[in-house]
Amino acid sequence: MSLLHEWQSLETRRRFLGRGANALGAAALTSLLGPTIAHAAPGTAATHFKPRAKRVIYLHMVGGPSQMDLFDYKPGLKDWYDKDLPDSIRKGQRLTTMTSGQARFPIAPSKFNFKQFGQCGMWMNSDLFQHLNKNADDICWMRSLNTEAINHEPAICAMQTGNQVTGRPCLGSWASYGLGSENDNLPAFVVLIATPTNREQEQAISSRLWSSGYLPGVHAGVSFRSKGDPILFINNPAGVSEDVRRKAIDGINELNRMNYRQVGDPEIHTRIQQYEMAFRMQASVPELTDLTKEPESTFTLYGEEARKPGTFANSVLMARRLAERGVRFTQIYLNNWDHHANVGGRMPSQVKDVDQPCHALIEDLKRRGMFEDTLIIWGGEFGRTIYSQGGLSKENYGRDHHPRCFTMWMAGGGAKGGAIYGETDDFSYNIVKDPLHISDFHATVVHLLGYNHERFTFKHQGLDQKLTGVLPAKVVKALVS
Amino acid sequence: MRQPLALLLLAAALGAAEVLPEKIVFNRDIRPILADKCFHCHGPDPGTRKAGLRLDTEAGFFIAAESGDAPVVKGQAEKSPLYQRLITKDKDDLMPPPESHKELKAHEIALLTAWINQGAPWQPHWSFIPPVKAPLPDVKNVSWAKNPVDRFILARLEQAGLKPEPEADARSLIRRVSLDLIGLPPSPDLIARHLPKDGARLSDAALGKLIDELMAMPAYGEHRARYWLDVARYSDTHGLHFDKYREIWPYRDWVIKAFNRNQPFDQFTVEQLAGDLLPNPTEEQLIATGLQRCNITTNEGGTIAEENLANYAADRVQTMGWVYLGLLTNCAQCHDHKFDPVTARDYYSMAAFFRNTTQGALDGNVKDGRGPILVIPTDADRPRWNALKQEIPAAQAALAEQRKSAAPEIAAWLKAVKAEDLQKDVAEGLLARFPLDEGKGVPAGTKSAGTVEWKKDGKLGAAPAVKKGSTLELGEVGKFDTMKPFSVAAWVRVAKAEGTGTIVARMEDRNAARGWSLFQGGRNYGFYLISKWPDDAIKVTTTRPSVRPGAWQHLVLTYDGKGKAGGLTLYVDGVRTEIRAEIDKLKTASVSEAPTFVGQRSQSEFLEGEVQDVRLYDRSLDARHAGLVFKVGPLARAVAMGKPNAQQQAALGEHYLATRHQGFRKTGDAVARLTSEQETIKNRNPITHIQEEKKDSEPFAHILIRGAYDKPGEKVAAAIPAVLGKLPEGEPRNRLGLARWIVSPANPLTARVTVNRMWQELFGQGIVKTSEDFGIMGAPPTHPELLDWLAVDFRENGWDVKRLYRLLITSAAYRQAAVMTPEKLAKDRDNSLVSRGPRFRMDGEMIRDLALAASGSLSPRMYGAGTLPYQPENIWEVVGMGTEKYVQDKGENLYRRTVYNFWKRMAAPANLDIFNAPSREMSCVRRDRTNTPLQALVAMNDPQFVEAARNLAQRVFMAGPNEDARLQAAAERVLGRTLRDDELKVLRGSLKDLRTHYAGRQAEAEALLKVGESKPQAEVPAAELAAWTMVCNQLLNLDETITK
Repeated sequence: MSLLHEWQSLETRRRFLGRGANALGAAALTSLLGPTIAHAAPGTAATHFKPRAKRVIYLHMVGGPSQMDLFDYKPGLKDWYDKDLPDSIRKGQRLTTMTSGQARFPIAPSKFNFKQFGQCGMWMNSDLFQHLNKNADDICWMRSLNTEAINHEPAICAMQTGNQVTGRPCLGSWASYGLGSENDNLPAFVVLIATPTNREQEQAISSRLWSSGYLPGVHAGVSFRSKGDPILFINNPAGVSEDVRRKAIDGINELNRMNYRQVGDPEIHTRIQQYEMAFRMQASVPELTDLTKEPESTFTLYGEEARKPGTFANSVLMARRLAERGVRFTQIYLNNWDHHANVGGRMPSQVKDVDQPCHALIEDLKRRGMFEDTLIIWGGEFGRTIYSQGGLSKENYGRDHHPRCFTMWMAGGGAKGGAIYGETDDFSYNIVKDPLHISDFHATVVHLLGYNHERFTFKHQGLDQKLTGVLPAKVVKALVS
Repeated sequence: MRQPLALLLLAAALGAAEVLPEKIVFNRDIRPILADKCFHCHGPDPGTRKAGLRLDTEAGFFIAAESGDAPVVKGQAEKSPLYQRLITKDKDDLMPPPESHKELKAHEIALLTAWINQGAPWQPHWSFIPPVKAPLPDVKNVSWAKNPVDRFILARLEQAGLKPEPEADARSLIRRVSLDLIGLPPSPDLIARHLPKDGARLSDAALGKLIDELMAMPAYGEHRARYWLDVARYSDTHGLHFDKYREIWPYRDWVIKAFNRNQPFDQFTVEQLAGDLLPNPTEEQLIATGLQRCNITTNEGGTIAEENLANYAADRVQTMGWVYLGLLTNCAQCHDHKFDPVTARDYYSMAAFFRNTTQGALDGNVKDGRGPILVIPTDADRPRWNALKQEIPAAQAALAEQRKSAAPEIAAWLKAVKAEDLQKDVAEGLLARFPLDEGKGVPAGTKSAGTVEWKKDGKLGAAPAVKKGSTLELGEVGKFDTMKPFSVAAWVRVAKAEGTGTIVARMEDRNAARGWSLFQGGRNYGFYLISKWPDDAIKVTTTRPSVRPGAWQHLVLTYDGKGKAGGLTLYVDGVRTEIRAEIDKLKTASVSEAPTFVGQRSQSEFLEGEVQDVRLYDRSLDARHAGLVFKVGPLARAVAMGKPNAQQQAALGEHYLATRHQGFRKTGDAVARLTSEQETIKNRNPITHIQEEKKDSEPFAHILIRGAYDKPGEKVAAAIPAVLGKLPEGEPRNRLGLARWIVSPANPLTARVTVNRMWQELFGQGIVKTSEDFGIMGAPPTHPELLDWLAVDFRENGWDVKRLYRLLITSAAYRQAAVMTPEKLAKDRDNSLVSRGPRFRMDGEMIRDLALAASGSLSPRMYGAGTLPYQPENIWEVVGMGTEKYVQDKGENLYRRTVYNFWKRMAAPANLDIFNAPSREMSCVRRDRTNTPLQALVAMNDPQFVEAARNLAQRVFMAGPNEDARLQAAAERVLGRTLRDDELKVLRGSLKDLRTHYAGRQAEAEALLKVGESKPQAEVPAAELAAWTMVCNQLLNLDETITK
C-alpha cells in the first residue's frame, strides 16, 4: 500500500471518528501530534519491514572533510611529495574552476600520522583523534562514497535530497514522512547549526536544506537556534506568563468551538488542536534546552564545550536529549571543512570539535539502551583532492573539492559496527573496490528506516517521486548488521 | 458461478461508482487508466518504451505493432490483443506485467472492454483541444444562476444531488470580497457605506458598487501582484551561495501598477516575455522583462559557466511551462516526457528562446548581478544620464583614435627609452628606493642580522626572503612625522594566510609603539600610525580579505598628514582598496626613533615572505601616481633586461600614452570623469534587472544528453513544442514570436491556465487542482466546460483581468454562505463542486496585513526598496555569508504592506514561511496550506502581532467607555461583524481574568506594552491596556480571523 493510500485510509478512519481534517491537516497530525491521535504504532504500520533505526542523528560536515587526512590512509604517498599527479589517475576528469587553471597538480601527502584501531583495524589519523578511535568497532566505515557534484551548493543539496537542484525533500523530511512522530510536543524533524571553533572558510547553509520540498510542509525541519528563541516565536512576549497564555488559549479555543458550531468546518477542529500543541511545545522546550539538570558526568563525557550554546558538543548533547524525547530526525550542520588552504592549521581544531562529542554520543546512547535503534551518520558533501591547491609545503597545503571518493561513517541503528567498506586507489582519487554512490547510501539509510527505497514514494507532478531518484540505486547489505 | 461473500460485499460497498457509463469517453474513462498503468512502457518516452508499442497516440492502437497485429480491433474486444493481454492467465503475457506492481481492477478492464466494443473512439488529451464555449447546461433551479458561471456549477451540483447554500449575509460577503480584491479586511467605514440598512442580503447593484470601489483602490494591485510575484519567483537576493542583494524591486512595482491600470493579460505577458524586443521599447516595457531575471543565480567560486547558464535556462523553461502552458516541461530536461507529448527536443527548443541573451554565468554577488540592468534615474539625473550614453562612447572613440595615431611615436620612444627614464616618472618626493633585487649578499643600503636567503621567483629578479632573524634594516630613512604627509610602497609576497607580520615599518616596541607600520594581519593588510598606543593612534585594515598568500602584490599606502584615518589610502595592485578604521584617535605629532625595517618593528612582529622595490615618499600620492608606482617597477625591469616581449611592449606603450602624450591623458581623464559620473548616477538611483537579447546571433540550444550541461547533443533552433504546432510564418523565431504565440488563439493552454489560477485565488483551489499541470498526469478539471467557457470569454473580452474577477465575484456560486453540513462533508468534502462558499486559511501576507490594518497601523506608502520589519533575533546568522546581519527598519517601514517585505531566498521572512510562503527559489503557482502549531506561535508571539493587538486595543478605546462597545468595535475591525452574545460573554470573561491578573502586576503589564517600536498610550493605565491587548491578541488568533 502506498503512503498516499495510507493517508487516505487514515482520513477515512478519522472522518468516521468525526475528527475530520483536510488532507494536509491530517498530515500535520500524523507528523506532529504523534501516536495518541494519529496512527497507532509509529514505524510499524506504514513501514515495509521492521525498521532497524527508529531515529536518526545526522552530523553533516559542511565543506567536505579531507578523507586522506582523516580516514583514508595512503602510506605510499610520502615519496610523492610535490610530484605531479599522474595523468593515468586524473584521466581528464572535471575540476572546479578554482584549480582547473593550475599549471600543475602537485601531490600533498597527508602530514598526519595514522594508526590502526579496534578489532576491525580501521586506520585513523592518530595525531588528532583521541576519543573516537575507541569506537572503531562500533562504526560502519564507508570509504567509497561518491557523487557527481563538485561545488558546495549542489553537492550539499544532492547529499541531503538526492538531487543537485533545489526543491526536493531532504532525508529528514522523508524520515518524518515515513515514520511520523513519536512525541506529543516536539516536531519530528529538528535542525541544529553548530558553530565551529575556527570560522576561516564557511559555506552557506540555508533553510532549503531542511525544506520538505514537494512533501507536505509539516515534514520540513524545524530549526532550533542556540541564540534567541530556540524555536522561532516559541517564547511568550514579555509580560505574558504561562498562566496568561493558558487563559488566552482557552478563550481562543472556546470562540473557535462556537464558530465551528456555526460553520461546521473540520479545519477549525484541527486549529484548536494545534493551539493546544503549541502550548505543549512552549511548555516542553525550556525543559529540553535546560542543561542544568544534566549531571557532571555528562560534561565529563561530552567535554566542557558542551556547556556553551551553539558548539558542536552542545548540539550533539541536544541531539541526544531530542532523541530521548522522541524526535525522529536531528540534523546537525558543522561548518568550516572547506580546506582549500591551510589543512595543517585548521584540521586540528575541526577534529577537536567533533572527536570527543561523537565518541560521547555513541557511549551515551549505549548507556541509555538507545544505540541499537538510533542511527548516527557523519560526513560531508564530497571529499578533497590529493593534489594541493595553492602553496604546498610538507606541513601545510590546501585541497580542492573532490567528488569521486570520500569517507563517511554510520553507527548504531542497524549499521554494521566494524565494517570497512570500499577502497580507493593509492592516491585516494578513484575508487578501486565497492563504490558507494550517494543514492546507494540513501537507499541503505531508507532500508534501515524500514522502507524499500523503490516503493518509498510520494505522488508529485504525476510521478511517484522518491529520494533515490530515477537512476538505479541499491541497498548495500554489507553496511547492515 | 458462486461469488465469495467478501467479493459481493465489496461490490456492494463500491456501489454506484462501479456502474459503467452508457457512453465511454476516452479522455474521461480510458486515458487515466492507460496513463497510470501503461504509459511508463508504452508512452511518449522512447527510452523506456517496450515492444515499440505506444498507447499515447491514436495510431498506436490501430497500427500493427512489432508483434504483427494492431492492438485494438474497433468494435471487437475479444479479437483485440490489448484486451486479451489484460485477461490472460499466462503470467508471461499478462499486462501490466506482475513485476511492475501495477494491476488493473475489474472495473478498469470493463471500461476498456466497453470502449473497444463501442468502436474505440479516440481523443487527444483534453487540454490540447482548443477550448470552445459550450452551450450553457440546463438546470432545474434556473433562477439561482446570476451569470453563466452558475449554470455550469449548478448543473454539477444537481447531478450530484446537492443544493447550493443560500447567499452569505451581507457582512460576510463584504469581508470576503474585500479580502479577495484588496487583500485587506473591510474598514468599519467601508462596511457602513455598503451594508444594507435592514439586514438584507447585498443586492446585485450594491455588490457592483462595492467591487467598483475596491477595484479602484491602489491596494487592489498590491494584492493581485502578490500572487504574481510567487509565480514570477520574485526576490530581493540572488539565491545561491552568498545569496546577496539583487536590485529588481522596480519590477515588483511594475507588476503592482500593471494590475492597477488593468493592463490586458496578453500585453502583460508579451511585455514580460519580450518587452525588450518590442519596437522602441519604453522604460516600463524593459522593466517588465524582469520576470525572466527573477531566477536564482550563483557566484560560487568553482562553478562552471556552461552549467550555470544551462541551469538558468532550465529554470525559465520550467517557469514558462508551469505559468503559461500548464505543462511540466521540466520533466523533459533529461528524457522525453513519460506521459505528456513533450520531448527533450521540444524542451531544448524552448530553452533556446531564453539562451540568446547577454546575461552572464555569475552574478558577482553584487546588486546589479553584472547586468543586463536598467538604471531608472530621477528626473533631475535623467538629462545627464541620457547625455552620457553618447558622451562616453564618443570619448572612448577619441581615445582609441589617439592610441592608433600615436603608434609611430611610441615605436620611436621604445627604441630610446631607458629604465632611469621610467623611474623619473615617479621620482617626485622620493626619499629612498630599495630595489632588493641583487640576488646575493646583503641588499644595497640595508643591514641584516642574519644571512639573506634569495628566492629566484621574485617579482623583479631574485627577492630576499624575510623572516625572523633575517629582516632588513633600512636605517634613518622614513623618519615621518605623524602629522605630515608621506607614502610607503612595496611589492610583497606573504607566505601564509594566517600569518601576521610587518612589511615595512618604523615603529618602536617600547614608547607605546610610536611610529608607523604597514603590516599583514591574517587575510587583511593594515597600517598603524601611532604617537601613543592606543589613545593617540590610528589603525586601519582592509574591509575585505585582500591578502593572497604565495602571490606577489603591490601596496601603496599614502597619507595626507591631517591626523585622521580618512586621510589614509591603500592601493593594492594599483587599485584603491576599501579600508576601515579600527582606531581613529591620533592627536599629537611625533617621530619614531627606531630604525626603519623591512620585515619587523624595532623588535617584534616578524613577517614571513618576500619584499621588493620599497619606496618612501615625503608626500601623499594621488591615484594616478599610485598606479604609476605599481607599473613602473616591472616596466623599468623589462627595459633594463632589454628586448621587452610583445606584452611588455604593449604595457610600455600604454605607459607612454599615460605619461608622455598630452592629448591622450586629457581624453583619458575625460573618459574616467564621464564614467565616474555615470557610476555616481547609477549608484544613487534604483536599478532593475532586465532581459536583453544578443544582437549578433540566432536563438539556439543543444539538446543536453540526460540534461547534463557537458554532454551537448544535437543543435536545435527555438521552437514551441511540436504537439502545439509551430510559430506562424512571418513571426520572429525569438521570445517575441513566442510571446505572441502564447497569447494567440492558436495556443489552447494559456487562457485556461490563467483563468484557472484566478479561480484558485478566489475559491482556494483551481478547476484543475494541479494548476501547474494540465497534462495527462495532472488532475482533470472538475468543470471542464466551465473552464473552457471562462478561457474563451476571457480571451474574447480582451484578456480583461478586472472583468473576469468581477464575473466570478458576482456569481451566485461565489456568494454562497461558507457553511459545511454533514451532507456536504460527505458528498463534497473539499468543495471541488462549489457546493458552498469558499472558506480557507489566508496566506501569511494577508494575515500580517490584516493585523496591521485592523489595528489602524498599516502604512499606505507604496513602492520602493524592500522593507525589513520585525524578525526574530539573528534570523540570518546561520544562513548568511556576508549577509548574516538582519538590520531591522525603524518607523514607517515596520508597518508597510507585506508585499514590500524584503525577500531573502535563503531565509524567507519567518512569519510568512511558517504560513507556507514559498522560498521564491522557483516559480510557485499554488501554495501549500497547512495548519500547524508553529502558525499559532507566530500569531500569538510575533512582536508584529503583539504590537498590532495593543494598537487595536488603543484604537477601540475611541469607541467610548462602554466595554461591550469596545469589544464590538474590535470585532468589527478584525472579523467585519459584530459578536454574538455567547461570544461576548467569553471575551468579557477573558477581560475580567486578565484585568485581575495584571492589576497586581504592573511590571508585567508595562513589559507587554513595550513590545514593538510604537509607544503605548500613556493616559490609559498599564494594567487596563495590557488586559485589552491580550483580548485583542485573542481576536487576532481566531480561526475566523485568519480565514477568508
